[in-house]
Amino acid sequence: MRQLFSLLLALLSAASLGCAASDYHEQLVLRPLPLSTLLASFNFRSNITLSAFEAHNFDLFPRSLAQILQHAGTRELHLRFSLGRWDAQSWGARPWDGAREGGTGVELWAWLEAQSDEEADQKWRTLTNALSGLFCASLNFIDGTRTTRPVMSFQPEGNHPNVTMDNMHLLYGVLPHEVVCTENLTPFLKLLPCKGKAGVASLLDGHKLFDASWQSMAIDVRPVCPSGGECVLEIEQTIDMVLDIERSKRPRDNPIPRPPPGHELKCESSKSYHSGDTCFPVDYTAGQEWSLNQIFGKSMRETCPLTDPSVPPVCLQVPESRHVYLSHGAVEKKNPDGKSRCFEIEPGTGFELILPRLESDDPARSAAAEIITPETPLLYAERSFTGHGQERGGVQTILRNPSPDTKVEFIYMESLPWFMRIYLHTIEARIEGHSGEQEPLIKEVYYRPAVDRARATQLEVRMRVPPASTVFLTYDFEKSILRYTEYPPDANRGFDVAAAVITILNPEKNGTRYAVYNMRTTSLLCSLPTPDFSMPYNVIIFTSTAIALAFGGMFNILVRRFVAADEGPEIGSTIKEKIGGKLIKLLEKLGKAKAVGKTTVTETKG
Amino acid sequence: MDGAKVTLGRTAALYAGAAVLRLALFTLFPGLPDLLTGRVEISTPVTSFKRLQEGLFLYNHNVSPYDGGVYHQAPLFLPLFSLLPSFATLPIFTYLLYIAVDLLSASALIKIADSGEAGSSVHFTSPRREKRWSGFIVAAVFLFNPFTIATCIGRSTSVFTTAAILHAIAKAVAGAPFSAMVAISFASYLSLYPLLLLPPLLILCYDRRNALKPIPSRYNFAVSNVALVVGVIAVLFQMSRFLTGSWEFLPSTYGVQLTLSDLTPNIGLWWYFFIEMFDSFRSFFLAVFWLHLSCYVGGLSIRIRRQPLVVLTLLLGLFAIFKPYPSISDASLFLAMVPLYRHVFPLMRYTFVIAAVIMYTTFLGPAFYHLWIYAGSGNANFFYAITLVWGLGLSLLVCDLTFAVLRDEWEVERPEMVGKDIRQI
Repeated sequence: MRQLFSLLLALLSAASLGCAASDYHEQLVLRPLPLSTLLASFNFRSNITLSAFEAHNFDLFPRSLAQILQHAGTRELHLRFSLGRWDAQSWGARPWDGAREGGTGVELWAWLEAQSDEEADQKWRTLTNALSGLFCASLNFIDGTRTTRPVMSFQPEGNHPNVTMDNMHLLYGVLPHEVVCTENLTPFLKLLPCKGKAGVASLLDGHKLFDASWQSMAIDVRPVCPSGGECVLEIEQTIDMVLDIERSKRPRDNPIPRPPPGHELKCESSKSYHSGDTCFPVDYTAGQEWSLNQIFGKSMRETCPLTDPSVPPVCLQVPESRHVYLSHGAVEKKNPDGKSRCFEIEPGTGFELILPRLESDDPARSAAAEIITPETPLLYAERSFTGHGQERGGVQTILRNPSPDTKVEFIYMESLPWFMRIYLHTIEARIEGHSGEQEPLIKEVYYRPAVDRARATQLEVRMRVPPASTVFLTYDFEKSILRYTEYPPDANRGFDVAAAVITILNPEKNGTRYAVYNMRTTSLLCSLPTPDFSMPYNVIIFTSTAIALAFGGMFNILVRRFVAADEGPEIGSTIKEKIGGKLIKLLEKLGKAKAVGKTTVTETKG
Repeated sequence: MDGAKVTLGRTAALYAGAAVLRLALFTLFPGLPDLLTGRVEISTPVTSFKRLQEGLFLYNHNVSPYDGGVYHQAPLFLPLFSLLPSFATLPIFTYLLYIAVDLLSASALIKIADSGEAGSSVHFTSPRREKRWSGFIVAAVFLFNPFTIATCIGRSTSVFTTAAILHAIAKAVAGAPFSAMVAISFASYLSLYPLLLLPPLLILCYDRRNALKPIPSRYNFAVSNVALVVGVIAVLFQMSRFLTGSWEFLPSTYGVQLTLSDLTPNIGLWWYFFIEMFDSFRSFFLAVFWLHLSCYVGGLSIRIRRQPLVVLTLLLGLFAIFKPYPSISDASLFLAMVPLYRHVFPLMRYTFVIAAVIMYTTFLGPAFYHLWIYAGSGNANFFYAITLVWGLGLSLLVCDLTFAVLRDEWEVERPEMVGKDIRQI
């Protein structure tokens, strides 16, 4: 009996340990941003011990993804689906310091364990094809021409033993043309333990998510070894979106934007011509009231029962002075920093939150009281094409360091399609307004040129921007013309060029983090010269005719003999003469036959 | 004695004039070299100076220039241009190098013209040979041809091939097979297609050498000279391998010419044809196009056996039309050889049409290219049509020259036929 009891105890403790090891938590952080926008950051995280993972005991870790990772020998995985542009000028620094963000389209990078490059490529193909099926995305189109092996830009986030580090290969692939849509969100939510049916994930809806001004869905899988504890494999799923409050509040049953009637127009009253019948419409309405239901189209259901109860599911980052109305059963807890508050929700109850309009007479004071002023990012970056025409062009990236006293050192990475032939000897970095001699801005360049139809260009530049200055990084490229079968059906739309990845390095050399801030520029649209798609047959025929004319002319002259115009065989020997002669003979015969017929007729009469 | 001095002085003045004109264009219009370098009519993927600079940059920064899709030129250009002072700081040395190469080509052309080989070869003497242009005029036509000047200002590396070919011919005419073979090996190493000139060049060498000093065995002569060419090319390849560290330059230089993987527009017939070609037939038509290019060598060498220089000239004309990446530099080389045949000009039938077509395409080609690429008001067919007309115009010139030369040969047999109507049967 005692033995049985101890066994039971052991089992129970094992079970509770297991629960503790594979914990799960989820959180939604809401942060109103300037210009009447709202940043919503969803974060879902679960753990599994590496030993349980090896034993195929996946628990809360999504089985479909885990099996793919095991099959493809993936040690660390990062997958991003993004849409839109983060407006750093008004919204400030990015959420998660940009670490959970991708460029427009789909981005994937992973550390694979392989003995050789060929094996790594093989596993990479397996991984992209499997993920393609899992996420309903065209990830299987990440082939050799879209894959690079970055050298400086990425470092593993997880803790890897040194033994496996030696055999790990980093591969990076990007699909800038991929349109992220609802079909990618559904499999994303299916990976969650509550499948989007309960908890903060119940707020997610494709209509709102993909209508956002900017959104990024991320999946990160990495091994984490807490000091003293057993190593765990951690999966973190993140969705960040910036919603335009006014746009989101538009009713679902009447989604077509129509001009509002005159009495509902919001006018800029500071304009000199503002009066009863003239109006300068303001493009956004500051300090609007909003609720979760209005923003997301539905209220939050009860919390996911699997979630760790110690982590509050919803947090709101607004100044402490603002009031928030909550639904029944929710408790507000203000954080000591005075910038955010979190809400604890009783199990089994739904949740609703209303942020009322801030009534204030002084507009200057109300702006500061209404929202928390966004942090200034470490660097602003804008990338664009220069030049005109479809023959050649240039890429210009404007990098501005807003800090008055610290320099920024970062790695700028481009992975360009092979049909943009870049000329590295034209790469140049110059500070705006300075022309004299100065310390070179570019510290180090890693360049792997493209091979036609086989490999993409990979360019990594380690450079710095001095305090309070703007640097222009430029280079030239040439657009190549492709075979007509290599153009997509909408050839004249242009080809998407992936976003440049900027990794700002940690100034402390022995710091724990490699990068302190990540960012992506926007993607570009490069238009290539196009042939005429409608006439392959005509071109083949015309060119062949030109060649045949030249060859035939030469052949004629080389093989035929010269004679004087009146010499040689009889004129009648030519085909024309022969045919003419035959015709004459035929006519003569016919004439004879007629004559004979006539004579016979006369004979019978006679 | 005096006459020689006068010619020497005249030639020097011609060289000086050509050099000063080029130097003036380089220095007075600083934007002109880069403008011309960017023109598709002048720079092809295998001769572009901008690509050479990129290759040079990668070579100087220890990145293999052949491990990429930009640089497709011979490896020996890299140390040559690395030895020159940097182009970015002292471009004048590069300019002087290109001018010197043009003048070298002109000097070879003067030697060819003054030898009189065009009018009277070992086996054939034209009755009209007295009516010819001197080397001075032939060189002047070459040096002041706008195509040659544009190629020089555009710094296309095809000028080196041109110089090597002209020197090979000049040495062959002088009866120096060794130098001729070395020169043609260099030309072949730089751009592959001059290798097809080897058979007529061997015949020319043999004829000239035999006239000077009888050669006991023609087979030994042929075999030893071909072996010499193979040897020189092998040495050049070994040097290239030593410089770049691997054999990967072979697919990147000659492989690109053979497979036409870079489809950048040019004035030839290949690029648009292979853009529009169906994938399953691509390799078949590549083989057909190369076979077509090489099929003229045998036929012309046999039919015009008595005048090997004519064969060389006609082949240069055909290559200027039908090679994979032609530019106006190839046309300028052909047009430099044509004035050697001043004596058969009266026998040509379509001189006006040819001149008109070449002028027409010269002016309309850049205009149509602009309409397609920049203005967007035309499509690729505009430029393609002009390249077709250009090819037809040049092939008419080649055919007409062949006709004139053959009629000239025939009139030796039938002197009474001079000036009479004839036909071919």
